[in-house]
Amino acid sequence: MITEIDTAAYDSMDKSGVMLVEFYSKTCGPCKMLSFVLKDISKNDPDFRIFTVDFDANQELKERCGVKGFPTMLFMKDGAEVSRLEGLKQKPAIVQEIEKLKA
Amino acid sequence: MSSKVMHTYNDHLITRQNRAEKEFLAAFEAEKPTLENAHVLVNPYFINPLCALILFKSEKPATATMTIHGKRNDRENIVHAFPEGTSHAIPVIGLYEGMATRVTVELSTGETKTFSIESQPLPEDVCRCRNINTSMDYFGNNFMFLTPAGKNLPTAYDYMGDIRWLLTENTMFDIKRLKNGNIMTGSHRFCHMPYCPTGVIELNLLGKIYKEFRMPGNYHHDHFEMPDGNILALTQDFTTSTVEDMIALLDRETGEVLRTWDYKTFLPQNVAGSGSQDAHDWFHNNALWYDDKNKTITISGRHQDAVVNFDYETSKLNWIIGDPETWPEDMQKYFFKPVGDVANFDWQYEQHACVVCPNGDIMCFDNGQYRSKVKERYIRNRDNFSRGVRYRIDTEKMEIEQVWQYGKELGQSFFSPYICNVEYYDEGHYLIHSGGIGWKDGYASDKLGAFINPKKEPGTDICAKTVEQKDGVVMYSMEVDGNFYRAEKLFPYHDGDNAPFGEGKLLGHLDVTPTFDTIPDVPESQEVIDSWHQVNIEEDEDRIVFHGRFARGSLVMVLLEGEKETRGYFINTAASYHLAMCSGAYLEDDDRVIKQNISKEGLSGRYDIKILVEDTKYQTGVSLFC
Repeated sequence: MITEIDTAAYDSMDKSGVMLVEFYSKTCGPCKMLSFVLKDISKNDPDFRIFTVDFDANQELKERCGVKGFPTMLFMKDGAEVSRLEGLKQKPAIVQEIEKLKA
Repeated sequence: MSSKVMHTYNDHLITRQNRAEKEFLAAFEAEKPTLENAHVLVNPYFINPLCALILFKSEKPATATMTIHGKRNDRENIVHAFPEGTSHAIPVIGLYEGMATRVTVELSTGETKTFSIESQPLPEDVCRCRNINTSMDYFGNNFMFLTPAGKNLPTAYDYMGDIRWLLTENTMFDIKRLKNGNIMTGSHRFCHMPYCPTGVIELNLLGKIYKEFRMPGNYHHDHFEMPDGNILALTQDFTTSTVEDMIALLDRETGEVLRTWDYKTFLPQNVAGSGSQDAHDWFHNNALWYDDKNKTITISGRHQDAVVNFDYETSKLNWIIGDPETWPEDMQKYFFKPVGDVANFDWQYEQHACVVCPNGDIMCFDNGQYRSKVKERYIRNRDNFSRGVRYRIDTEKMEIEQVWQYGKELGQSFFSPYICNVEYYDEGHYLIHSGGIGWKDGYASDKLGAFINPKKEPGTDICAKTVEQKDGVVMYSMEVDGNFYRAEKLFPYHDGDNAPFGEGKLLGHLDVTPTFDTIPDVPESQEVIDSWHQVNIEEDEDRIVFHGRFARGSLVMVLLEGEKETRGYFINTAASYHLAMCSGAYLEDDDRVIKQNISKEGLSGRYDIKILVEDTKYQTGVSLFC
C-alpha cells in the first residue's frame, strides 16, 4: 500500500512495525521512475506500508530525517531508521532491503 | 506539433577505411603507375586532411627518398628514406594547410619527381598557435602533438607554430608512440558520460586505424604499452557505484581483457579527498606507468592528491607520494617525509601524468588545485600555481626530496586546475604542458576550462601553454587557443614501416548496456515523438547512440521492443554537475540534451525503438536489426 503523507501525517501516524518512507521531488526523473518501481513492489506485497513525502514541501521533516537529496528511501522499524538507499534503485535492491527489514 | 526522428547508419570508420584501401590498392595494381604518373591520394583514410599517400611502381628495385619542402627554406625540409622495393607507398605527413606543398621523391635509380600537393583550409574553429618561441636548431622538424580536452581536435604544430597534422575525429586523451611506430590514443566513439569512449585505437599518422580495442568498462585518461606489447588501459566497472579506479590489461592481438586491477582492494575510498572528490569518482585515476625494473605500477589519483605505487603481480600497496594530512593513521606508513631543501618543498595536489624516470625519480604535473587537504586552507585559483615537479624517493628510509620544479614562479599565468602532463627526455631535459588554463576578467577562472566558452562569455579565455626546458633554460614555449589534455613531441616518421596496409580490426567487446527492470505501464501513442525533442539515433556496427532533448526532471526511457523481449534504458534527465571534466568533447551547449549509448552486445533479432516520455510511449519509426 502506497500513501502520500506530509509532515503532520508523518508525526501523527502509527510507526510501529516496518515501513518504507520515500522522499521524492515532482521535478525529478529518477523519482518518477522510482514511483513505478514502488508500485510494482506494492502490487506484489500489498501489506507492506510505503509512504511518499514531497521533499520540497516538507523541508523540516527532510532535515529532521537527514535527507540530503532525492529520491531517498528510509527503511524503518518501529519508528527508527534501519537503513537507507539514495538515488534510483532497481526492484531487487529495494526488495532485498525490505526482506532484511522484515527479518 | 511536428514529428521527425533522425536515424543514420554509418559503418565503423575502420570498415570505411578498409574499403577505401582495398579500392585504391586495386586501382594501383591494375594501373601500375610509375613515378612519373604516380597516384597521389590526399587524406586517403578520411580523417587527416594534412597528409597524402604517393603510390607508384619502379621497374627495378629501388630505395626512395622523400622530401617535404619547407615553405620558408630548405632547413625546414622533412626528409625520410624508404626501403628498397618495386612497389612504393610513400606517406606524406605534414602538408601545409590551404596551399600546395612541394614533395620530391627521388629513387636510387636516379629518377626523381616533384609533386605539388594541395590541401584545403582547415575548419575555422581549429585551435591556432598564438605565439611560439623556439628555434630550428633546437626543435628541428619535430611536431608538437596536442590532444584535445574539449570539442577541439588532435593537432600538431611545427617549430613555427604552423599546423601540420590534424585529425578531424575527436580522439581523446594521450597520444603515445608504440614500439612499432604507430600511435595509440582513445577512440572517438562516445560510450559513457562524461568522457568515456569505447576504448583505445592503434593508428598511423595518416589516420589509418589498425585496431580498435573495445573495453567493457570503456577507456579514460591513459594507457601504457607493456614490454610484451600488451596494453594497460585505464577503465572502470560500471556495475559498481564508483568510476575511474581500475586498470585493464588488453591482449594486443585479440583485444580481450587479460586481467584487471581494482584500487578499491588496496586503497580506502572515503578518506583524504581532494577538493574535487565525491563518492562516485573517489580516486579519479588520470595516469599510469609500468616500471619493468621492479614490476610495479604507478598511478595518479587526482581526487586523493596521491601518486600511488603497487605491485603488478600482487596489487600490494608499496608507497604513496602526497600530503599525508587527513590520511588515517594506519596508512601513514606508506607516506614519505620531506628532506633536503624542505623550505622550498611542496607536495603535489590534484596532479596528472605521473612519470617514472630511469633512476626511479617520480615526475608529475602538479596542478595544485586547492593546494591543501583541509578545506579551510584551500587556495583560490588566482592565488595558486601549477608546475612540473620531480621527486627523488628513498623507499627504505621513506624520505622524499624535491629535486626539480618548473612553474611555481609563474603563478596563475601557468595555472591549470585540470589535465596537463610532463615528459622526461633526458637528465635536465623536460616537457611541461599546462594545457588547461582558463581566465575570467583577467584572473585565473574558478571554472574548469571545459566549462568556459570564450565565444559566449565576455571576459573569458582558455589556452594551453607547452614548455620545454633543458639544463634550466627554456628552449621551447608555445601558447595555443583552447585547452589540450596532453602534449607529446614526435617526429612524423620512424624507422619502421610508416604506412603498412592491411585490414583494420575491431577487437574486444563492449559490455551489455544495463537495462532498467521496471518498465512503466503507460498508454502507447501511435504518433512519432515530437520534433522538439530532436531525437537522433546514430547507429553503427556495434551500438546505437540515442540523442534527444527533454525537459529537466522528466521521466524518459528508451525502449527496444523485440518479438521476445522489451529492454528499457532509463535516461537520467536530472541536472548534473561534474567536478572533473578532463574532456568536454561530449558536453552539450543545451543541458537538456542527453545522449545514451546502447551496445548491440546481447541484442538479437529485430527491435522497434520507442520513447517513453512522462506518461506516454511514443513511436520513432526506427527499427534495429542485430
